[in-house]
Amino acid sequence: MSAMLEDERDDAIRMIRDSAAGIAPRGGDRKRIRALRFQSPGFDPAVWRQMGEQGWIGLRVPEEQGGAGLGMGAFCALAEELGAALAPEPLVHGALSARLLAEAGATGPLERLVAGEALVLTAWQERAGSFDVPGTPEAPRLFLPMADGAQSFLVPLRQGEGFSLILQPAEGADLTLEPTQDGGSFGTLRPRGGETVGTLSAAQMEAALEEAALGTAALLLGVMDQAFAMTLDYLRTRQQFGKPIGSFQALQHRAADLKVQIALGRASVESAAMLCDRADAPAAQRRAAIARAKARAADAALLVTRQAIQLHGGIGYTDEADIGLYLRRAMVLANQFGTAALHRRRFAAAQPEVEA
Amino acid sequence: MTDYNAMTDEDFRAEVRRFVESEYPAHLRNPPHRLHWQEGEEWFRIVQKKGWVAPGWPQELGGMGLDASKQIILIEEYERYGVARLPDHGVIMLGPLLIRFGTEAQRARFLPRILAGEDIWCQGYSEPGAGSDLASLRTEAVLEGDHYVVNGQKIWTTLATDANWIFCLVRTDKSGKKQEGISFLLIDMKSPGVTVRPIINLGLHDEFCEVFFDNVQVPRENLVGEPNKGWSMAKALLGFERIFLGSPRQSAYALSRLRMLAERMGVYDEPEFQERYTKLRCDLEDHKALYETFVAVLRRGEPLGADVSMLKLHQSDLFQRITELMLEIGGENAGLLKPMEGNRDLHPSGQFIEARPTTIYGGSSEIQRGILAKAVLELPG
Ligand SMILES: Cc1cc2nc3c(=O)[nH]c(=O)nc-3n(C[C@H](O)[C@H](O)[C@H](O)COP(=O)(O)OP(=O)(O)OC[C@H]3O[C@@H](n4cnc5c(N)ncnc54)[C@H](O)[C@@H]3O)c2cc1C
Repeated sequence: MSAMLEDERDDAIRMIRDSAAGIAPRGGDRKRIRALRFQSPGFDPAVWRQMGEQGWIGLRVPEEQGGAGLGMGAFCALAEELGAALAPEPLVHGALSARLLAEAGATGPLERLVAGEALVLTAWQERAGSFDVPGTPEAPRLFLPMADGAQSFLVPLRQGEGFSLILQPAEGADLTLEPTQDGGSFGTLRPRGGETVGTLSAAQMEAALEEAALGTAALLLGVMDQAFAMTLDYLRTRQQFGKPIGSFQALQHRAADLKVQIALGRASVESAAMLCDRADAPAAQRRAAIARAKARAADAALLVTRQAIQLHGGIGYTDEADIGLYLRRAMVLANQFGTAALHRRRFAAAQPEVEA
Repeated sequence: MTDYNAMTDEDFRAEVRRFVESEYPAHLRNPPHRLHWQEGEEWFRIVQKKGWVAPGWPQELGGMGLDASKQIILIEEYERYGVARLPDHGVIMLGPLLIRFGTEAQRARFLPRILAGEDIWCQGYSEPGAGSDLASLRTEAVLEGDHYVVNGQKIWTTLATDANWIFCLVRTDKSGKKQEGISFLLIDMKSPGVTVRPIINLGLHDEFCEVFFDNVQVPRENLVGEPNKGWSMAKALLGFERIFLGSPRQSAYALSRLRMLAERMGVYDEPEFQERYTKLRCDLEDHKALYETFVAVLRRGEPLGADVSMLKLHQSDLFQRITELMLEIGGENAGLLKPMEGNRDLHPSGQFIEARPTTIYGGSSEIQRGILAKAVLELPG
C-alpha cells in the first residue's frame, strides 16, 4: 500500500471511531443495553436505522452499489467500538448479508438493508461450532441472532459448486427463539419458500464468512478492552487493607498479563484487517491471519472478562454490576463464526510450517 | 441410637446410598442453583425424620455424632447422587460454634430449633467495605443496659431472605487492633430495624442479599463467647469451611457434565478433546488424593493446618477449568441462557457462571495464595 493510501486508510479508521462514539459511546451508561435485554427483538430498530444512515451496514459494500466502499480496517475499528459499547444491534451479521446481497447483485433488498430499514440475516449455519455452509435445502438453520427483529432471511442452498441465495420473508417463517446470556436470542429457522435473488461461488461465500469472523474478533477486542478499562478503574478505587487493591502485586501482575493478551489480540485483529485491505495478499495468507485473530480474540476475551469478574470480587458476581454484561457478551460472541479450536485448525491448514 | 462410627466405611456408605436412592425426591436432583428453603423443605423433613440433620454434632445434642471421615462419606454420597444443599449455615457453622464456644443456655435454646427446621440461619460477616479485609468490618454493636444496639450493613449474605436468624461479626471496640474489637452476635431477623434486600447474581438468581441494621435491639445473652473474641472464634471454624469448599464434589459433577456435553457435541472421541479431558480427569483424581490426606488428618483427630488452603484453591481452579472447556466445545450453545434442549445436564453457560464465584467466596484465591505463601511457606513480608 502506498503512503498516501495508508494515510487515507488511517483517516477512514479515525473517522469511523469518532462517528461510532456518537451513537454507541464506549463509556456510556448501560441503561440502554439493560433496557433491551431479554426483550423482543433485543435491539433497537431506531438505532439500526441510524447505523444504516451512518453507512455502517454497507460499509464494505462498493460505492456504486450504495455502500461506503471502505476496507476491513475501518470495519474492524467500528466493530471494536460497538463491542466496547456492548451495542446489541447485529452489525456483523447485517454486514455479512449486505456483502452477500451485493455480490449476488440483489439490488432491492440490499438497498433496504444498508439503509437500516430492514434487517436481513444470513441463515447459513447447520451445526454448532461450524464454519462450513452445507446449504442443505430442508436443514434447520441455527443461531440466528436477534432473529425476531429480522425482516427476511438469506438462505444459501447448495447448487453444484456454489450456492443459490434464497430470500425468505420473516413473516410466516417457521422460527423458534432461545434467549442468550447477553439478553439477545438465537433463532432456529426451518427454511421454506422465498425467492432466488442470485448465485454465489463457494469462494465468495467463504470469504464473506471470514470477514464476519474477523468482524466478530473485533467485537471481542472491544469487549475485552472496555472490560479491562473498567477493571483498572476498579483496581484504582476499591480499597481493602487500607489501600487500593491495585497496589497488591498479585493483582498488578494479573493486570499486566491481561494487558499482554489484549495487545496480542489487537495486533492480531489489526494485522489481519490490513491484509484484507491489501488487494495483492494471497487468500491463504489472509485466511491464516483471520483464523489466528479470531482464535486469539475468543480466548483472550473470555480470559479478560473472567478475570474482570474475579478482580471485582463479590460485586462482580452480581447482575447489577456492568462488568458482568461484558462476560455475558463475550460468552455469546466467542464461538460465533467458528470456535477458537476450529480457527486454529484453519490456521494450520492455511499456513503450513516452513522447514527451517 | 445407632453408632455409625462403629460401622465399617463400606457399610456406612451403603447405608447412605440406600437412604438417598430410596428417599431423595427425584425432581430435586442436581438443581441448577442453590435451593431456597421452601424449594428444599420437603427433603429437609425426610432427613429430619431419619435424624440426620446434623451429621457432625454429638449424638447427645441430636446429631449423628459422625467422625470426620464418616462425614466425608456422607457428603460424597450426597454429592454423587446430586442431593441439593439446603440453607445449612445453622448446621454447618453456627451449631459447631455454639457447641464449642456457646453457653449451656444458648445450646439448649438454639440447637433444637435448628434440628427442627424452625430456625434458618444465615452468615453475616462481609460488608461493603470489608470483604477480603474482613477484620475492618464496621457494623457496630453498642451495649446499652441489657441489650446491644446494632447499626450497619452486611452484604453478600447467602439466602438471607430464607433465614429468620443471622449470626454476625460486629464491632464492639474501636480502640485497639481491628481484629480485637470484634464480637459474635446472634440476631433475630424479625427484630425491628432489620431490612433484607435480595441481590440478583450473575446467574440471574436471587441467592445473596444485603442486610441492613437500623438501631436493632439485641439481647445481651445473644453474644457468643467473650466480648471482642469473635474474630478468633470465627477463624477456628474456617478450617472446616475450607475442607468443605475443597471437596472434589463440584469438579466431579462438572466433569461428568463435560463428558455428556462432549458426547452430545460429537467431540468426545476426538484426540484433541481426549487429551484435554484426560488431563482434567487426572487433575480430579490427584485432587481426590490430596483431599484424602486432609481427611486423614481429621480422622486422626488432629486440627487442620493453614495448608488446607491448597484444597480450596485447587478445587475452585479445577472446577473453573472444566467449565471453561465446556464453553469451548459447546459452540454457540455455550451462549444460550437456558440448558440445551431442555436438558439440565447440558448447560455449559450455567455451569461456567456457577463456577465463577468459587474463587471469590470463602476467602478468594488471591487471599488463599497469600495464606500459603506466608503461613505455610513462611516467606517474608
Ligand atoms: C456467591 C457468594 C456468596 C457469598 N456468601 C456470603 C455469606 O453468606 N456471608 C458472608 O458474610 N459473605 C459472603 N460472601 C462474601 C465473600 O466472602 C466476599 O465476596 C469475599 O470475601 C471477597 O470480598 P469482596 O467481595 O469485598 O472483594 P474484595 O475483597 O474487594 O476483592 C476484590 C479483588 O481483590 C483481591 N484482593 C483483595 N485483597 C487482596 C490482597 N491483599 N492481595 C491480592 N488480592 C487481593 C480479591 O481476591 C479480589 O479478586 C459471598 C460471596 C459470593 C461471591
